[in-house]
Amino acid sequence: MDRKLAVYVCKGCDIGASLDIEALKDVASEAGVDAFHEHECLCGAAGRDLIRQDVLDGVNAPVVAACSPRFMIDAFTFDGCRTERVNLREHVVWSHEPNDEDTQMLAADYLRMGIARAQKATLPEPFEEEVNEDILVVGGGVSGMSAALGAAGAGHHVVLVEKAESLGGWMSRFKRHIPHEPPYRDPQPSTVGEQIDRVRADDRIQVFTGTTIEKITGQPGQFDVTLHTNGGSDTTSSMRVGAIVQATGWKPYDATRLGHLGYGTCPNVITNVQMEEQLASGPPTRPSDGKPARRIAFIQCAGSRDKDHLPYCSAVCCRVSIKQALTARELDPECEVYVLYKDIRTPGQHEDFYRRAQEDAAIFFTKAEVETVGEAGDHNPVVRAKNTLVGEDIQLEADLVVLATGMVPASADGEALRRLADAKSVVAKGEAGVQLETAKETVASLAHLEGGEILNLGYRQGPDLPVLKYDFPDSHFICFPYESRRTGIYAAGCVRAPEDAQLAREDGAGAALKAIQTVRLAKKGEAVHPRWGDVSYPDFNLQRCTQCKRCTEECPFGTLNEDVKGTPQLNPIRCRRCGICMGACPERIISFKDYSVDIVSSMIKAVDIPDEFEEKPRLLGLLCENDAYPALDTAGLKRIRHSANIRFIPVRCLGSINTVWIADALSRGYDGILLVGCRSGADYQCHFIRGSELMETRSSNIQEKLKQLALEEERVRLEQLPINEFDRLPEIINEFAAQIDEIGMNPFKGF
Amino acid sequence: MAEAVVVRPDRKFVEEIIAAGGGDLKHCMQCANCSTVCELSDGRPFPRKEMVWAQWGLKDRLVADPDVWMCHQCNDCSRRCPRGARPGDMLAAVRRLTVAHYSVPRFMASLANRSAYLPLAFLVPIVLLAVALLVRDPIAQALGLETEPAFYASFFPHWLIIGLYGFFTGLAFVAAVVGVLRFWRAMKRSDEELGLYATPKGIPASVVGALKDILTHYRFGFCTAQKPRRLAHLAVFYGFLALFVVTSWAVVDLYVNPMLGIASRYPFDLMHPMKILANVGGVALIYGAVKVMVDRKRIQGPGAAASTSFDWIFVWLILGVGVTGFAVEIFRFTVGPEPAATIRTAAYATYFVHLVLVFQLLTYLPFSKFAHVLYRTVAMVYAEHTGRHRPVHRPQVPQIAAAPAELRLQGVTTETH
Repeated sequence: MDRKLAVYVCKGCDIGASLDIEALKDVASEAGVDAFHEHECLCGAAGRDLIRQDVLDGVNAPVVAACSPRFMIDAFTFDGCRTERVNLREHVVWSHEPNDEDTQMLAADYLRMGIARAQKATLPEPFEEEVNEDILVVGGGVSGMSAALGAAGAGHHVVLVEKAESLGGWMSRFKRHIPHEPPYRDPQPSTVGEQIDRVRADDRIQVFTGTTIEKITGQPGQFDVTLHTNGGSDTTSSMRVGAIVQATGWKPYDATRLGHLGYGTCPNVITNVQMEEQLASGPPTRPSDGKPARRIAFIQCAGSRDKDHLPYCSAVCCRVSIKQALTARELDPECEVYVLYKDIRTPGQHEDFYRRAQEDAAIFFTKAEVETVGEAGDHNPVVRAKNTLVGEDIQLEADLVVLATGMVPASADGEALRRLADAKSVVAKGEAGVQLETAKETVASLAHLEGGEILNLGYRQGPDLPVLKYDFPDSHFICFPYESRRTGIYAAGCVRAPEDAQLAREDGAGAALKAIQTVRLAKKGEAVHPRWGDVSYPDFNLQRCTQCKRCTEECPFGTLNEDVKGTPQLNPIRCRRCGICMGACPERIISFKDYSVDIVSSMIKAVDIPDEFEEKPRLLGLLCENDAYPALDTAGLKRIRHSANIRFIPVRCLGSINTVWIADALSRGYDGILLVGCRSGADYQCHFIRGSELMETRSSNIQEKLKQLALEEERVRLEQLPINEFDRLPEIINEFAAQIDEIGMNPFKGF
Repeated sequence: MAEAVVVRPDRKFVEEIIAAGGGDLKHCMQCANCSTVCELSDGRPFPRKEMVWAQWGLKDRLVADPDVWMCHQCNDCSRRCPRGARPGDMLAAVRRLTVAHYSVPRFMASLANRSAYLPLAFLVPIVLLAVALLVRDPIAQALGLETEPAFYASFFPHWLIIGLYGFFTGLAFVAAVVGVLRFWRAMKRSDEELGLYATPKGIPASVVGALKDILTHYRFGFCTAQKPRRLAHLAVFYGFLALFVVTSWAVVDLYVNPMLGIASRYPFDLMHPMKILANVGGVALIYGAVKVMVDRKRIQGPGAAASTSFDWIFVWLILGVGVTGFAVEIFRFTVGPEPAATIRTAAYATYFVHLVLVFQLLTYLPFSKFAHVLYRTVAMVYAEHTGRHRPVHRPQVPQIAAAPAELRLQGVTTETH
């Protein structure tokens, strides 16, 4: 396709008053673009008409030098062509001295880089295939049913799969629930029955109980599902769905590990789940002799917020114990209840529920660290606690002790299952060597996971959602609710985070919305979070592939399967378009239409590098588009200045940085390279989960390379920046620039 | 660390505290805001530990806790409590229950303090005094006593008052001594159990220390929300002291001086130093009692102390004694040697009421709020004796600005002062 470029410079928003626009015209002309227009307000109707007319007359690669590409997107989108945006406002005139030589050079370089990209990038065309819009919901508890009802209400056909013989999950087994409506003071009867009726009555929802998933293959919009139903006769059903909500709920924490709290040794020590069963049938009694339990001690955080057990808070146990205390008191007014807690956690309106229980003189609350539960005569449990408030150890005899145990997500660790499968195949081959020993160890340590598969995904990276902290498949990062690391599969309810039934319902609705978004975007070939609407997808030049498997290993979303030889097989609808595969590929065979190794290299090379005698160092900055780039926009908006020696290129994710760019930049004569992305680690904020982490690994390789080249390793710096710390970014830049000044010029300059 | 304490929660006692005026104690979430604002708190958080004990109904701990008596109910804690649990009121209720706990006989505590028993409480001295009047002449004849010439003594002779009141205050004294000794032993035993018992200071020095505190109302001075109460209490306290001195002197003057050959000057005339002291004391007493009442009504909001029958009966009694005392005095100095029968009846009736109220005050002392004069003093001596924390004036807690109205939650106290 013949490319016809034209440059449009906006003079509004201080740009015209701060730069020599005529000089920019010369820059464009030197770069081979003679069509140059300036306008007082390019985003206004007249400005847009100017470009639109040119596009009609044959311009197919307009370069708009104006504000940040994050603004005025619609205004500068023209049919049939890709608009290149040059950020003269936030990154140049709002963050640098106006009418200054260095500022002018910066603007010129950004224009050159924009032209370079416009010369190579093409308009991506969406990957369009037939997309199924049905939603599969796995789990028929409160959140699963809520997801099913939500999706059905939005007009989607729903397949609801429940492992048990009936719908309702845990909450249908509990007779009374914590209050879910004002005045939030007393336990309320279960409403799960009504929810089940609504699900059963909805003809858009197809319910499979007593059913598990045998296999799921394909990608969003094209998931092929095989179900297996037990019952009178084993039956198998197949169907195609577009997206999946995993609402598999929770399991009670294994109380047999709480021997120190008397569980398993003293018959009158039970869990809160057992207490629910007791209260469903009448006043609480002692399991040892069936006599009424008149002194009931609740031990909160039993095996929770405890480094040896569950390190987290399960969110509901305090309210559940309050509910059980009030219920017990109602069923048997003679009984007394003692609640021993680390902290009472009753969020929101449920504080009133706590106050309600406090008003009862027969419910005793005290903060205490329970150490052990022993046994006195008549199987009476005796609680020993460190009473942290009056500085004394206390002993309390009771008829019944209830351990308020927490929730464990009913998830399956997809990646561990994959490691197990790999190790088993190594063991099966039986080739001698160190590898075999390691594989045997892996099999031994992971064997307990076998049979725990839930989704049985036909993914190269494992049959289930990868789990993150504490086995939850969700990142819990506030910006990405319900997101898992498998596109089109969302976690909802207690498998996502410990929560109460009310939140689980909301979760179900939220995850259903995400699932609906997936299928609707997939229909248009558009990406989901966080690159909403992006229609580009990676092209693989497979003739040159060496089957190194780095792309299939490193893709955070399991986009790529492998054939037997290890050649990647793309599932474009699974792709989030982060470009991590592109950054990983040593052969540089992966590229997007508008983002490739070559395009960025050209931008890097387009910059005019002053020679060593001019004493104008040049730094390259690669900014993550998700947080770092908007952060620099914000800094510009706040008119915070930064060094004019640095040239920034936005990258989709730090993980998409191919190390060849670093080499290109250093050999081109850049004096330093700054990489800014999102936080990695346990509390990562990387929008593509592993991108910044992968960059960390790669940058340590880069440091090695620098040493080999006898270059100072400080010339390449990796920084992590949350978006709210935008004001730190100019400081980081200036500090880096000062450091490079100190180190001196790149010795490769001019070669 | 001492051996683990076996806790036996006592729901009945919790309910008793609630009934005695500590109604909000269950709202406590044991956050210790009260202990951080309390001047009396030291290593063992006060009054949070008492709040914890109270929530568990640990009666043995509470009635043997001298710290409860170090509190003068400034209610800084109640004002700062984020849950409206009102620790200050709980402590007041515990003090009331402590007095009841050590009362011998137990029913006297109910008789003296419950408004339902008030008529009966009045009836007892009325009957006793009426009977005394009936038997006045026969006894006088039998013992060959002459009719006393003084205006009131001709109605209710001094020997009869001293005999009657001496007997019943003697009983009260015995009850008080027994109660106080039991209190002392309980405090000692409790501290021993906790391994905290030590006596760095001797008893005499401790008594001196406690008296100094009492005479200056040192601890009382730490109250901020309830600052006006200190002055009121000082007035009542010294008013009482003055009247006690005068009464004692009257007995000496009547019976001891004649034996020493000094002529009795009783009843004193207006310019007699003792009469001046009595009048000043009486004015102070009335002023203090009225001020207590006014302050209790005036100080509102979370810093206000809860008032129960335990408090009101006592304050009204003091006021009643003071007012009837002056009325009796006014009659005495205004009526002529031969007053009209109606005036004489009115004067004698007033005198009778005065005697009833005085009887109430003195005889019910170990069982009513008046008992704090014993228990607080003993607790203070014990605190000195065992080297407990003595407060020192610290810089004021920074004032907290009022939160915007929309942020005010139920039970959250944010008012400025």
